[in-house]
Amino acid sequence: MTADKERRRAISREAARRRRRVESDVFGDLSRLLPLQPSVQTHMDKPSIIRLTLSYIRMHTLLKETSGTNAGTRHTYLPGVEGAKELNRNGRLDKEEKETKELMLSEESNMYLRILEGFLMVLSTEGDMIFLSDNVSKYMGLTQTELMGHNIFEYTHPCDHEEIRNNLRLTAEVCCSQKRDFVLRIKSALTHRGRSTSLKSATWKVLHCQGRAKMCVASSSVSCVLLTCRPLPLSHTLLNTHTFTSQHSMDMRFTYCDQRVTSLLGYRPEELLGRSIYDLCHTLDTNCLNKNHLNLCLKSQSVSGQYRMLVRGGGYVWVESHSAVIPSIRTPRSRHSSNQPLCILCVTYVLSGVEEPSLQLSLDQTVNRYLC
Amino acid sequence: MSAGGSDGTADKPADRAAEEDRLSQAGCLMSAVELPRKRKGDVEGRSDTHVQQSLDLQMDDDLSRSEGEDQQVKMKCFREPHRQIEKRRRDKMNNLIDELSAMIPACQPMARKLDKLTVLRKAVQHLKALKVGTSSAFTDTTCKPSILPHDDLRHLLLRAADGFLLVVSCDRAKILFISESVSKILNFSPLDLTGQSLFDFIHHKDINKVKEQLSSSEMLPRQRLIDATTGVPIQSEPPVRTSHLTTGARRSFFCRMKHSRVAGKHEDKHLLPCTSKKKDTYRYCTLHCTGYMRSWPSSQLDPEGDPADKETSSLNCLVTVCRLLTHVSHQPSKDINIKATEFITRCAIDGKFTFVDQQATIVIGYLPQEVLGTSCYEYFHQDDLQHLAGNHRQVLRSKEKIETQRYRFKTKYGSYVSLQSQWFSFTNPWTKEVEFIVSLNRVVSGPGHTKDNEEAGSSKALQETKQIPEILGLSVGVGTMIYAGNIGTQIANELIDSYRANSSPSSGASSPFGSIQEKFPQTSRSASSGEEGAGSSSQSLSQSDSKTAAGASGETSESTGETSQLDLVNMVVPGLSSFSSDESDMAVIMSLLETDVNMGQSDFEDLHWPF
Repeated sequence: MTADKERRRAISREAARRRRRVESDVFGDLSRLLPLQPSVQTHMDKPSIIRLTLSYIRMHTLLKETSGTNAGTRHTYLPGVEGAKELNRNGRLDKEEKETKELMLSEESNMYLRILEGFLMVLSTEGDMIFLSDNVSKYMGLTQTELMGHNIFEYTHPCDHEEIRNNLRLTAEVCCSQKRDFVLRIKSALTHRGRSTSLKSATWKVLHCQGRAKMCVASSSVSCVLLTCRPLPLSHTLLNTHTFTSQHSMDMRFTYCDQRVTSLLGYRPEELLGRSIYDLCHTLDTNCLNKNHLNLCLKSQSVSGQYRMLVRGGGYVWVESHSAVIPSIRTPRSRHSSNQPLCILCVTYVLSGVEEPSLQLSLDQTVNRYLC
Repeated sequence: MSAGGSDGTADKPADRAAEEDRLSQAGCLMSAVELPRKRKGDVEGRSDTHVQQSLDLQMDDDLSRSEGEDQQVKMKCFREPHRQIEKRRRDKMNNLIDELSAMIPACQPMARKLDKLTVLRKAVQHLKALKVGTSSAFTDTTCKPSILPHDDLRHLLLRAADGFLLVVSCDRAKILFISESVSKILNFSPLDLTGQSLFDFIHHKDINKVKEQLSSSEMLPRQRLIDATTGVPIQSEPPVRTSHLTTGARRSFFCRMKHSRVAGKHEDKHLLPCTSKKKDTYRYCTLHCTGYMRSWPSSQLDPEGDPADKETSSLNCLVTVCRLLTHVSHQPSKDINIKATEFITRCAIDGKFTFVDQQATIVIGYLPQEVLGTSCYEYFHQDDLQHLAGNHRQVLRSKEKIETQRYRFKTKYGSYVSLQSQWFSFTNPWTKEVEFIVSLNRVVSGPGHTKDNEEAGSSKALQETKQIPEILGLSVGVGTMIYAGNIGTQIANELIDSYRANSSPSSGASSPFGSIQEKFPQTSRSASSGEEGAGSSSQSLSQSDSKTAAGASGETSESTGETSQLDLVNMVVPGLSSFSSDESDMAVIMSLLETDVNMGQSDFEDLHWPF
């Protein structure tokens, strides 16, 4: 009887082995069909292959839906390329021309990504990262193939999950403002010197995500949110004439302000020290500033929307601030990071001229304040 | 993992039970074998035969105990997690297969669920079918293959970014290239714009700003680009003359561009209040332009040209992506909707007006500056003081919006207007103290105020000027007169006292980040010892000589802020721990700020200010 059992076991084992071989073959076929680098293709495990296949199919469906007018002439004119060619998509190109065209297109899209200083992310309504542009490795330390298909909630800070979920929800609005703009913290497997490490030693990185939601009526599983994700470097070159920097304590009171504020808002830097930014702004923008402040406290970096700052003596200007929390510089350097006091560094761009200069809205703007 | 000879991936349920038994047995044996093996590794360096012998003995002991009850326990505790792991892996795989079948059109009409192999095979077919329809980009192995064809990537990007690519020459701001997406954003076709001067389309007040941004890169000071979280200075590559892909200095600015109303059917609802006149068909929308300077030496632009001809200078241009600014998420429109007979005011915690919307004038007759600095209680009707003071006290302690009852507000002309307001207090997220109260006031039609009534009311007021009814909760000393203004101040003082009481040393409770504390249980250290020291050091740090603006409450908020900050530094700001260890990063930030200061001083004189 045991011999019988043994034989049956052997048969089932053989069957199982055959099944597995067939399965591996099919997986192999699938991975070869995916447009990936050969080195990556051979080393992918089965769940990854399925993940990437899913992403591929989803992206195709998405693109078919959105760009109905894919055919038709499109002019791709890149200045500065040798013998700048004008390319006609409808025309028949031979292999060499095709390759050149492909090269130029890839340069162009790389250029876009470089200009934007971020990566592209397409999220499903469930939070699956359907697509990530390949420069994601520069920002997160993990490659495109490692991340695509996974769920964003596995990689982001738990306190931000609710905000992310709110942003993934598609509203019933049909009008064009399906815009999304929020800040989140994501795991980054980059050391502070820029080298890639493992996920275990990941730190949090702040990303500013902007984009729009795209609803696909045909197949709801393809509805998604398109986002560009950028880390927030704080200051940009050539802080121009309509920009000023300021430092604040953590409750948003000014502790330092550069001289340019005088020409833009009329206040002397000394007049601002100790004043809260909430006092200097239009009340209707309190919510906007509050959100900015909260983001700063929680996520350490933030981009405010546009808000109004009151000008000395009357009127206001529209501004936008990019801020970050950094350790206060003027301290004696201490070894323990936990003792380092923090401050907020803001770069404020003034967007408009002074509106309604004769209108005094706030107590500070009345003359009495500055009589002495 | 060598789990004996069992199949780790067998799916058939019939085998599952048998498989698990085998696994658990193997697991158990493994555990018995593994542990000593590990320890063997540990003691390898020591070459202590005595220890090894004792370990071998232990192993033997373990095995001999296999018949005992310990084995049952061991099997159980190894079976559980192992089973869980396997189950999780299988579930994940099954989920993926399900998702895949949902996406493949061939799998969808099937009534019953398809098995794994069939789904995979259909996926292969589907991919092959997709490839037939696309360009050769995928199969072309000379170029770097990518999941998405580059053309599509570009379109997706521009759609996500809500922007367009713009290339302008630096010398004359001639638009060299603009992508098609501009038609969606500005309602101009790219053909209309290419070749035109950019300044024709920019708001006149921004022209100087843009001119400055287009100025040549060689004269600028070094890069001041830094990633604030990690402290790593991001250097742009130094311009190399030979390559096409040189990127020069980075540019980032905001400007207003013309946006035609005529062409497009959909009008952008979210524009800033425009300053153009009605006859003007153009409105302006604000764009954020970020990009790089690029330059091409003349030889590359004109390969057929005479190499001796050096008159044509190199082409410098600015390559930017211009994005439309989003207003949606930061609009307070849902919370505060201003209509014609509404106005908004902001008061300090003692009720003194610090901000008055210009629309108030329509309602109350006073100009904002006439009212600013005075207490709101001076305008409330006597009979309403009671409930309004109650509301005042309530709003300072509550986070919600409080709706007042109808009350009367004295206008400039002596008459009263009926208002009803929504109050909410604004607390500073860091210090958790109330900074001010925002009031959204709207006119309501009150009970008919005939002139007789009003006169009667005012004369009554005259009679009772010296005798304001007692307000509950306010301490009235013997012989003290309560004036309207005092009410607010008293209520405010109550609040300040309560803050002082709360911020005494044992206040672990008043942490600004209650929600975070739930998720990250970090115990807040008691600050009694550190408070004084922290307070004084922050004073010296912050450079502000006028903290007295906030008075006593300011000091307490300072120290409270300091305390909570000590607790929460590592939680709040990721990656900061790297700072103290790397002095060069600190130096970079220092130089960053110093450069800002220097820049401000030097450019201040040189440049022409619009004001």
